[in-house]
Amino acid sequence: MTPLEQIIFLLKAVPITLAISFLSFLLGLGLGILFAFMRIYGSTPLRYFSDSYEKFFRSVPVLAVMLLLYFGVGPYIQIFKDPFFTSVISLGIVSGANQSQIFRSAIGSVGRSQMLAAISLGLTELKAMRYVILPQALFLAVPGLGSEIALLIKDSAYSFIIGVIELMKHTDILRASQRSLVLPYIASAIIYVAMTFPLATYLDKWGSRKKKELGL
Amino acid sequence: MTTILECRELTKVYGKVVAVNNVSLGIDRGETKVIFGPSGSGKSTLLRCLGLLEKPTKGTILFNGTDVYASRQDLNKLRARIGFVFQDPSLFRHLTAIGNVMLGLKHVLGLSDNEARRKAYEALKLVRMEDWANYYPSQLSGGQQQRVGIARAIAMDPEVVLFDEPTAALDVELKWEVITVMKDLAERGTTMLVATHELRFAREVADEMIFMDQGQIIEIGSPDHFFTSPNTERAKKFMAKILG
Amino acid sequence: MWFLLDYSMFLINGFLITVEVTLIGVGLGLILGILAALGDIYGGKIIKIIVNVYVEFFRGSPLIVQLFIFYFTVPYITGLRMDVMMTAILTLALNSGAYQKGYLKGAMEAVFKDQLMAAISLGLPMWKIFLYVVVPQALRIVIPAWSNELASMGKSTTALIVIGVREFLNTGISITAQTFRPLETYAFITIVYFIWIYSMLKALDMLYNRIKIPGLEPVI
Repeated sequence: MTPLEQIIFLLKAVPITLAISFLSFLLGLGLGILFAFMRIYGSTPLRYFSDSYEKFFRSVPVLAVMLLLYFGVGPYIQIFKDPFFTSVISLGIVSGANQSQIFRSAIGSVGRSQMLAAISLGLTELKAMRYVILPQALFLAVPGLGSEIALLIKDSAYSFIIGVIELMKHTDILRASQRSLVLPYIASAIIYVAMTFPLATYLDKWGSRKKKELGL
Repeated sequence: MTTILECRELTKVYGKVVAVNNVSLGIDRGETKVIFGPSGSGKSTLLRCLGLLEKPTKGTILFNGTDVYASRQDLNKLRARIGFVFQDPSLFRHLTAIGNVMLGLKHVLGLSDNEARRKAYEALKLVRMEDWANYYPSQLSGGQQQRVGIARAIAMDPEVVLFDEPTAALDVELKWEVITVMKDLAERGTTMLVATHELRFAREVADEMIFMDQGQIIEIGSPDHFFTSPNTERAKKFMAKILG
Repeated sequence: MWFLLDYSMFLINGFLITVEVTLIGVGLGLILGILAALGDIYGGKIIKIIVNVYVEFFRGSPLIVQLFIFYFTVPYITGLRMDVMMTAILTLALNSGAYQKGYLKGAMEAVFKDQLMAAISLGLPMWKIFLYVVVPQALRIVIPAWSNELASMGKSTTALIVIGVREFLNTGISITAQTFRPLETYAFITIVYFIWIYSMLKALDMLYNRIKIPGLEPVI
């Protein structure tokens, strides 16, 4: 393969890498918002549960979770025999803990006085959340969510260890088939940077600008 | 005259601190009452209890003669009928001026978007903020923000509006614009209970003044009474201090 | 799970390697991070560009790729051979340095911006300003970020399996290969990671709470 063909071969794997990252981000987003709300507004057992979830999954390596689910749980539960699915689930549940923290701190920095003002108008707590707190919290969470997507794109590389055919796997295939130790790794690293850098930088800038505009 | 909002023997305790101690007070329709007193005297806590934003430790609150906490009423419905203006205007920062005023109209009173917009615009006109309707809070001065805060409260057509030191956080030159708006409201017959240090405002519009210190009502009287011959030493001293 | 007892020495060894590379990686990363931060604040244009390329490369790509590059590519180009542990530590340090540069720069600037003039006006020499004004504040700002860095480095060391370092997760892989009991083995491994990283976070949190000063909260 010519260098160009090798690069094209690498780029062909990008959609899979992005699919893993995006799907696990969505799973993490759902879990994150759910657990953040449970933690702030839930009953005592729910708070305790979401707190433990957050603490546990922020303190374990995602690769260990992946191996546990794929090799450990896979033999008993059919769906975890699929490496793609398993890596999305592993990345997603770990990301859920991160995103829960992002949302908790965003909701926290919206401030109690906003809640009080909403309630003074007669809004129920749920409506106050929906129309006053959450819209502001989303703005505040954007930079954090941006770095979370970037983190997921990078961590999706772990999936190749359980056999998902994504960018890292294509890189490894090139090394073996082309006996090339330079181009595949450098090119692959640059592709990863090209995916994460603009995303994190742009969302961070956008978030800070919005924050300033709204005086949050 | 009908009493709209009333508290009887109201006490509010935070931990070991007694913020409000056995206070009874009522506001009649069309009346403007001013509460004043040193900071930490319990004005703010009393207002929050009356605004149903905090539950009193002891005592009762009556709204149109019904005990609010005993009768299992929907507190949110009652809050919608009691306007509240905060010291820090607490505008919703993700919404424009008119968006702030519309929020309660739409999601509490259930007005349509058009109706809410029309009504919100009227309220903004009353506080002379109609030209700023589409600005975000961060683009407005403190005085302008507070006027939007007032519009947000009165747009709901509340039966009584509680003001919690609405000018305390403002620079001197911005205070007057808020005070002018409040005077207008008082003259239009709005029922108001105002915690403030603006004694000139009180003198011009208050039907009654209430002096609070250390969580208790020390003295009640007309503005003339307080400006000429307050009974208690504490009120005398405080008046002297404020009026310099 | 008792079969794991037979492998206790093996597991302990792996765990100690994980702890070792984490601490050394973050420690060396601190030095690199300080240098990079100083370079970005005071350096000329070229140094700034070098620092930023370094940071973006290591923050923007997966640790696995970085490990492969230092395991395969760099020796291939330079002809320099390193043993696996050296490769691992070097990569982790460079990776951690890139992350630490970010908040170290923030902390230094935060302190310098406001107070440098005040300190100079008192007649303090530069090194005293650094020692008595900048460091005590910057340290407090940095500790929460630092505990994050330790935790995330601790988790990231699992990537070392791709170059064959016999760290904790890798011992799990070997045990599984011998015992065919992946569920218990990986569950045990995961729980040990949790206990270790969680207690590290808690300890630094306690330290931070003891030395924190009101008004000097970190800006992350």
